Amino acid sequence: MSSLLRFEGVSFGYGRRKVLAGVEFSIEPGACTALIGPNGGGKTTLLRLAAGLLRPSAGQVLYEGATLHSRTRRDIAQRIALVPQTLEIPFPFTVQQIVEQSRTPYLGLFGGFRDRDRSAVERAVEFTGIGPLRHRIFNELSGGERQRVKIALGLAQEPKLLLLDEPAQNLDFGRQMDLMHLIRQVHAQGVHVFAAMHDLALISDAFSSVVLLSPHEPLHVGSPECVLQPEILERAFRRPAPLNFMEGFDRRSDLARRLCAAEQK
Amino acid sequence: MRTGAIVAVLLLALVCAIAVGVTCGAVRVPLRTIVAALLHRHSLSPEDRIILMEIRLPRVLAAAMVGAALSAAGLLFQGLFRNPLADPYVIGSSGGAVLGATVAMALLPQLTWLGFSATALLAFAGSVATIAVVYSLARVGGATQAVTLLLAGFAVSSMLSYSSYFVEVLDRDYGLGLRILASWLHGSIEVPRWTQLGVAAAPFAASLAGATLLSRRLNTLALGDEYAQQLGVRVERVRIGIILTGSLLAAVAVSLGGLIGFVGLIVPHFARMVAGPDHVRLLPITVLTGAAFLALTDTLARTLLAPTELPVGILTAFLGGPFFLYLLRRTKRGYAA
Repeated sequence: MSSLLRFEGVSFGYGRRKVLAGVEFSIEPGACTALIGPNGGGKTTLLRLAAGLLRPSAGQVLYEGATLHSRTRRDIAQRIALVPQTLEIPFPFTVQQIVEQSRTPYLGLFGGFRDRDRSAVERAVEFTGIGPLRHRIFNELSGGERQRVKIALGLAQEPKLLLLDEPAQNLDFGRQMDLMHLIRQVHAQGVHVFAAMHDLALISDAFSSVVLLSPHEPLHVGSPECVLQPEILERAFRRPAPLNFMEGFDRRSDLARRLCAAEQK
Repeated sequence: MRTGAIVAVLLLALVCAIAVGVTCGAVRVPLRTIVAALLHRHSLSPEDRIILMEIRLPRVLAAAMVGAALSAAGLLFQGLFRNPLADPYVIGSSGGAVLGATVAMALLPQLTWLGFSATALLAFAGSVATIAVVYSLARVGGATQAVTLLLAGFAVSSMLSYSSYFVEVLDRDYGLGLRILASWLHGSIEVPRWTQLGVAAAPFAASLAGATLLSRRLNTLALGDEYAQQLGVRVERVRIGIILTGSLLAAVAVSLGGLIGFVGLIVPHFARMVAGPDHVRLLPITVLTGAAFLALTDTLARTLLAPTELPVGILTAFLGGPFFLYLLRRTKRGYAA
């Protein structure tokens, strides 16, 4: 069985500035994957490549065994959804109106909604619990409410792979917990999640595997226990890993190291 | 209110505005006479017939078309640039139009074609050519950044406007032409011939049809280029479509009425406050409001100080400015990002 998503020797740069060089990893069916790494290390670029919005300068991105660029944009949009870090909406659209936009890849020339579209929007709204926000203006929502709406946007697109860019950004502790819970539920529904994350302490809450992308360290891919090791993190971020995170880690690190040794054979 | 109801009310308002425009003027022709003539009870006197059919009706229709075109173009550009301050001239069509009109007045004052004066023709050509230049300047590596487009439009438009002042300075025998140019610059609708209306109606109708197809995309673009792109929208193509459609609408308006300010800015705002931000609903509401508004304003412009005619641009600024400020004060919330 082929991987859901596979990067094969992918390089990419904006003009002369190289961002990614020879990136190679895959996301297997059933995985819930976190993407971590220092700021400016290319996480957002990698997600854009995964959504087929950018074209690699070398190598290729495969989705279910076929290169992304052999598919039409609309075809990709019915399988892969990318929810950006921030949504800046210049007009007072309501939450409902915004979530309905996610059905764009399924609509015809005149944009008529069919039952299937209506029910997909309904399910996404129900699932993320944003029913009460439906008629509110998106720009007036709090940070936590916006993040939930953004997940609803992704789900209404009915993707098999949901790419999230920093979904836990600007959330307080409680809202972060809620969001992790939501991501676990989304994953339980059979949607593959691939999310760029900053807060390392949240990773093991929801994710089964981790991709570490850093300009200072070769790419690491593996279970959270394997990748989130103090030495690796220190090299990748060029700083000692934060204490509060490491305390929890030390307690299980012995076991973790043994597991990782087994995983890497 | 449902869109259908709003559209019906606006259609009625437009019909009333046209009726008022046809009835009012330096020579009074009672509405009763007109209705009787329409019902074939009486025929009009030859003078009345000329006043109504060759002067007032074409002018009111031209005003309605200009108002509709400017408002639709404003809506398209506000959506494209995700900026409520955009107007039909935002990417520079006004500068090209001004230069075209100036050159026409200086060099070819006598030329006409299908009833259009050289001023109107060169203004049209100037605005279309400017858009083409601005767009190709702003396009880098197959993509166009909205900000680059705005800045390039501003720079090119200013250059062209000042070139036209330069032409004026060079031409010392310009006394009379200058006054015509000034009134053109502040927007005033000429009495068009029916052929002129017909010629203008073709690109007008085509661009409105295009705008109808594009209006749904404007909703998607409101979520940002990247999000629209990942939804499968070919953003660059949609952008070209919007620029072409909006520029054509602006050029049609320029060729019939010169540079009329404020309409393209305020009418889409007014519509948004009535009907919300959904562009699919907004388009018909904007078009009808713009048509009725300019038909009425133009009637005021030619009757207020009759027989002197005010440039209609003066009135749109007088009426539109304060109204716009009122709306702005009343609905603060809609524009916070």
